[in-house]
Amino acid sequence: MSDWLQAASELLYREASCLDEQRWDEWIALYEETCEFWVPAWKSEHQLTADPRAELSLVFYRNRAGLEERVERVRSGRSPASSPLPRTHHAITNVRLQARTEDAMTVASGWTVHEYSTRTSQSSVLFGRYEHGLVLRSDGWRIRRKKVVIVNDCLPAAVDFYSF
Amino acid sequence: MKFDDIASMVDDCPREGRFSVQRRIFTDPEVFDLEMRHIYEGTWIFLGLASQAPQPHDFFTTWVGRQPVVVMRDADGRLGAFLNTCRHRGAQVCTTAAGNARVHVCKYHSWAYDSSGRNVDVKLSKQGCYAPEFAQRSHDLTRLAHFGEYRGFLFGSVAADVPALEEHLGGARAFLDLVVDQGPQGVELVPGNLSYTYRGNWKLQVENCADTYHLTSAHRSYMSIVERRKSEQAKHRLRMVGSRSWKSDVVRGSFTFGHGHTAIWGVNPEPEIRPLYAQVEELRRRVGERRTDWMLGGRNLTVYPSMQLADSAATLMRVIRPLAVDRTEMRLYCIAPVGEAPDVREYRIRQFEDFFNATGMATPDDNIAYEQCQTGYGAEQAEWQQGYDRGFSALQDGPNDYARELGVEPVTSLVGPFDVGDETVFHAGYREWIRLMRRGFQRTGGGERS
Repeated sequence: MSDWLQAASELLYREASCLDEQRWDEWIALYEETCEFWVPAWKSEHQLTADPRAELSLVFYRNRAGLEERVERVRSGRSPASSPLPRTHHAITNVRLQARTEDAMTVASGWTVHEYSTRTSQSSVLFGRYEHGLVLRSDGWRIRRKKVVIVNDCLPAAVDFYSF
Repeated sequence: MKFDDIASMVDDCPREGRFSVQRRIFTDPEVFDLEMRHIYEGTWIFLGLASQAPQPHDFFTTWVGRQPVVVMRDADGRLGAFLNTCRHRGAQVCTTAAGNARVHVCKYHSWAYDSSGRNVDVKLSKQGCYAPEFAQRSHDLTRLAHFGEYRGFLFGSVAADVPALEEHLGGARAFLDLVVDQGPQGVELVPGNLSYTYRGNWKLQVENCADTYHLTSAHRSYMSIVERRKSEQAKHRLRMVGSRSWKSDVVRGSFTFGHGHTAIWGVNPEPEIRPLYAQVEELRRRVGERRTDWMLGGRNLTVYPSMQLADSAATLMRVIRPLAVDRTEMRLYCIAPVGEAPDVREYRIRQFEDFFNATGMATPDDNIAYEQCQTGYGAEQAEWQQGYDRGFSALQDGPNDYARELGVEPVTSLVGPFDVGDETVFHAGYREWIRLMRRGFQRTGGGERS
């Protein structure tokens, strides 16, 4: 059990450091080609949207091409929202193993992202919880599903893949 | 501050080919305070859609300027709009975004109101040793001075001296119709709350919605992504507005209406990318060939000063709530035809998310541009803006053929290729701004702070 939890935690921390240190190719490579990336919207005080086909999400992708596009957009230097890029710090807490099979597991955790704008010298914070669906490949664990719940969803002006 | 000070912030000389506003209009807290009193609390403000409270006793909360508001449907199905504040000590009565309640009990001292706003209980009133006169006074929730509905769009005014809602909306109604009529049974909101704030003045959002000039600059990175999706190898195939609609040979136009409302529109060279295209045959039968083309085209409407409909990537409704001179809250809604096929609905939702909201790939570029403007406005010595000049020589008074086809009577019309990037369309908002400020000063007898 603890080996699994440790492997999961290491992957989550690695993802966090990839985002904070702008190692985006490495970040993308943590994901399966076919992966679900979902940030649901809230629809009332304590209820999230549950069906991304019929309700709004903040982000919903069925493969990692959507993430690749976002990385590309940031790298283009042509997006006012990400030039200059903010600095970020991801903190992952409360990592729990939810379910596992021989080569897959579901991991729940909490996250806090502090974002610092070099343009305005102001910090902002988003926080919430993650659910990662992981699968074991020959060279290690990969993400095939990630759900991000943003708790404080009256968002700042620009929120991208590095913000949560 | 006197009205003359306010009037001097807008230089409106179209005959001399000149229109500008002073940067102070975006940065002065005293101007903002006057705007809240005389504009947001001086004219019709968008409250929400009737479909947000469909059943008896349903309610939702919103704002008119700085004033908290609740819209409720009573037992008989009638909608009403009230200041969301207890008559006793002022606490908010409804503290959730929406819900259903026959009776709303204030959590502070338990005064209770029914869904028609009537006070149904003053706790321990018999024991309260009130003066006899107390019973003669109304303890009901305060109704907004005016509340009106146009085809499901609800508006309210806390100021008494406003024209009838239909008159206020004027030509903007035709653009609301072009959204409502998209479904044979009308339109609905897709579930899911979206909101964000930006560190900038609210008028930046008003202007941006009518600004075509920024599209190929601020959204270049997004356009590149949309272009790349067309390649055979692309894994992400979502088809989006922009790649052909933002080209120089595409016909674009703008209208300004009375009361500051504006609309920009463009012929859509690829109507088939729109979710609405899935029902194009039904549309043509029901609303005719030309109205179908108008619906499939791109249109951005601003119902001054608080609501915008952008019908491009998907159908977006924005509600603008100014928080401070340099801070604005936005609420976004996705509008869709009732009874839309599930696969079309999903396509619509994905298009919406791709472009709009603080988590989309276009809106954040606008928002950060506003923030950079707000910072730039700190340079007060560069007093007058030069962003109201494009389009001057193409501007015409009254309707053009496109307006006549749509059956609207705009104050000004402009038509030209996409590259005109008209900015004269912004003038209408500032003329209404001046008009409302003048009226506000007249109402208070000029008795504002000096």
